[in-house]
Amino acid sequence: MTLTADSRKPPERRLHPLRAEIVRGFAPWTGAAVLLTLGMLLTGTSAQWQGGWAETRSQLHDSMLVIAPLTAAAGCLQGGRERRRRTDELWETAVRGRLARFLASAMPVALWAAAGFTAAAALALLATWPYAQGDRPHLGLLPGDAVLLAACAMAGHVVGRLVAWRPAAPALAMAGYVGLAVPAMASPGAGRHLDAAFPAPVGSYPVWWQPVVMAVWTGGLASAAVLAYAARRRYTALVPLAAAIAAGALLVRTGDGLWHDDPLASRQVCDTSTTPQICVNARYEGLLPQVREALSEVVGRLEGVQNLPVRFEDRPTAPRHGEARLPMLAPLGWSVVRGRLTDPKQYAWEAVAELEGRGDCQSTLDPRVRRADDAVEHYLAPGPHQEYFDRLAAEGSAAERAELTARQRARARLASMGEEERRIWLSAYFATAGSCGARAVPAL
Amino acid sequence: MTAIGLLLYARSRALWPTLAALVGTTGFALWAAHLMDAYLDPSRRVPVFALAPLLAAAVIGTSLYTASDELDRTAVRPWWPRRLVQLLGLSAVAAALLPTAVLGDTLVFGPPAMIRNTLGSTGVTAAAAVLFGARLSWLPAFGYVSAVYLASGGARGPAVTVWAWPMQPGTQTGAWAAALVAFAAGGALYVARGARPEGARA
Repeated sequence: MTLTADSRKPPERRLHPLRAEIVRGFAPWTGAAVLLTLGMLLTGTSAQWQGGWAETRSQLHDSMLVIAPLTAAAGCLQGGRERRRRTDELWETAVRGRLARFLASAMPVALWAAAGFTAAAALALLATWPYAQGDRPHLGLLPGDAVLLAACAMAGHVVGRLVAWRPAAPALAMAGYVGLAVPAMASPGAGRHLDAAFPAPVGSYPVWWQPVVMAVWTGGLASAAVLAYAARRRYTALVPLAAAIAAGALLVRTGDGLWHDDPLASRQVCDTSTTPQICVNARYEGLLPQVREALSEVVGRLEGVQNLPVRFEDRPTAPRHGEARLPMLAPLGWSVVRGRLTDPKQYAWEAVAELEGRGDCQSTLDPRVRRADDAVEHYLAPGPHQEYFDRLAAEGSAAERAELTARQRARARLASMGEEERRIWLSAYFATAGSCGARAVPAL
Repeated sequence: MTAIGLLLYARSRALWPTLAALVGTTGFALWAAHLMDAYLDPSRRVPVFALAPLLAAAVIGTSLYTASDELDRTAVRPWWPRRLVQLLGLSAVAAALLPTAVLGDTLVFGPPAMIRNTLGSTGVTAAAAVLFGARLSWLPAFGYVSAVYLASGGARGPAVTVWAWPMQPGTQTGAWAAALVAFAAGGALYVARGARPEGARA
């Protein structure tokens, strides 16, 4: 028997020893868990963020409240691995230092968690893209959030190394939920600026360095924990700790100055061809044609009528003098879902109610004014619930039936007026818009 | 089965620390309800409703771990009655203790909803113990409930009481059905199969 040379060539490129740690074991499952949890959360809330870049950013950032504790717990579970495998002593014989050995098992979870979040964020942005109505993608908070996840995984790993208790991981997650949620729910204090998962309101943006300083704050704390646990010279932990404290102090000192309002949110995009003009918030400028279409009938029937407001304005604040508030487009998920008006008829009715401007005194209105309002709504844009209320009144008490008859008579009276007569009546009627008294409202 | 056998079983499943942890969970729930001034408005209790049953379910789930799986399988007697008693007993203790943190209003986030959430979370955790092992059993329930916690705020639709069962305030039939199905299915799966064997390598 002869010995033959092995014809197989040795592999050209040797795989990195860390590769197995990254692609095998628990770490990829962390990424999957983060992606799945985020996927579930984002799918459940899709009506409220899909189509708005600012809403998408806020939803992704706010989900940190849930994902960060989960990642810390995953890190904690991974941290107990060497103890469970009883490989601590074997690791002691390795050539590499304690910190390198620590990072070899801790980094994969951190990387996978950040990767899971990045993938979910990319999918969410892709899902928003086809329905976006204006504005631009806001990516500023995403890197800071990814750093937060990595920091949570590392800190959790340290806890897992130190605590030999099976429910330690869920207990850590619970502590994380409480720690992140309490500043968000408690009364506004300076401490909330240190909360990396503090909800980011739509239409509010951090100054450019806030995510960087926040990343130094969270990353610094986690690095200090890691160095204090695993470094050969433990006092080196003081360096990231000092950086974290400096970053924290900067965040607390700057306080409310960290966030500013989006200038785009105060801009209006208007269609000036109609009376009243129709303006939508510049963040949803793509909705203008749909809004105009929904209000076209109302605007058409108001042609030539005097005393109307100059324009519909889409601002969060109260309308200025001579303006009416456009029925709300934001928050998404109610009037607007995925870039479409959900119910144009209802929207037009709401616009008429805004023109009347008597929303604040509905309960104290004189029946005569209420009948006039109802007749105007019926003529301009009957609400989708009108028939239902009429039927309810028809089956009700004698007083309700009498009121229904009076209402129907007023509607018929307005509808039977001649063009010119109605225009004069409507002009007199809209002169009383916004007032709760009965005297000036013209009779029907 | 002798009393000593039962005692040994209880010790092998860390039953006493588990019971202590359940009492601790109740203390946590009481503290959290007090912290949030829940007496002002029942809806402030919502975080307690989501988190306390989760923690109790995680404690129960990790107690399903067996350190001697291979040895267990050589036993002459069937294991399912012991598993059944363990799961039902711990669930009953949790379902009896946790509602004490939210006494008062029973219609909106009251004791019945707390019992429902405890049973549902325990069911999901028990099923996860069979599929992923007892050590990791808390993860699916944590992911699901916390996602639903943030997602169900503005959610609407006919099926919302079913998929968002942990967030329903009162006695919605769909939510109770979902929680009981989760408890029955997860419990049956665990009683029949036991937790997934986990070596020291996990």
